[in-house]
Amino acid sequence: MTRDDFMARLRRGLAGAPAATIADIAADYDTHFADGAAAGRSEQEVAAALGNPDRLARELRAEAGLKKWEEQKNPSAAAAAVFAVLGLGAIDIIILLPILMSVLGTLLAMFITVIAGVIAGAVVMAAGPFFDPPGGPLTAILAGLGLMAGSTSLGAITTIVTIGLMNLMVWYGRLHYRLLKPAIDPQG
Amino acid sequence: MEHVTEAIEIQLKKGVLALCVLALLSRADSYAYEIASRLAKDIDMGEGTIYPLMRRLQADGLVETYLVESQSGPPRKYYRLTDAGRGSFTQQKTEWAAFTRAVDDILGAGA
Repeated sequence: MTRDDFMARLRRGLAGAPAATIADIAADYDTHFADGAAAGRSEQEVAAALGNPDRLARELRAEAGLKKWEEQKNPSAAAAAVFAVLGLGAIDIIILLPILMSVLGTLLAMFITVIAGVIAGAVVMAAGPFFDPPGGPLTAILAGLGLMAGSTSLGAITTIVTIGLMNLMVWYGRLHYRLLKPAIDPQG
Repeated sequence: MEHVTEAIEIQLKKGVLALCVLALLSRADSYAYEIASRLAKDIDMGEGTIYPLMRRLQADGLVETYLVESQSGPPRKYYRLTDAGRGSFTQQKTEWAAFTRAVDDILGAGA
């Protein structure tokens, strides 16, 4: 493989990452080829020593996606991490997709329940006392508060479960690095 | 048996790669190609792995970069240890020495 082939495949593999990141990574490997040439090595030799550029690009992108999730636990980072692991080809999409869909569906249903519970609790607490409820106005206020508190804790549990599942996936994805494994595996 | 030996070897190298980079940089500032070829020659490490490693060390604040003008081509990116990097190196080196001494003792006792 020539230097141009290697760089083209690396860039193609990195497409979609932030432009500055691609430029940064490409510059590193480009310099490596230049230094190799200066040391009297052929482009083929240097390319072989670097490894498969497609695989390298996939793992670099995966690492970026997984790192984003570790730094900021929000839905967009979660999506990035899921796609990163899929891109790694670590898990067969045919197997993963049904599992992912049902897990996502369940989590979504739980979050909707939580939101509905909080709203219902607020309505009961605010409006309940004016409708002459059984047990008096105070009961309605307390029932509304209870409903909101219960929903909030269910929401907290759902969030913890979601984060746990994501971390599990990140761990699983990292097991599937080949080229980069020694370099970026956090060392114990 | 051969693949077991290989697995042990990979595990060993994995653990010391970052330590080796810190050690090289503790002696003199260097650039990625120099570090990579040194490690590839001495401990048979894939050259491509150096860049993600340097990125991680930089993100962890153990190394920092600066540019040096070169006669041929664009300016070269040099790496140097930060104070945190120096501290981490000293600590890891001590741990490594204690570990290898213990292993040596056990190996010696077994022979």
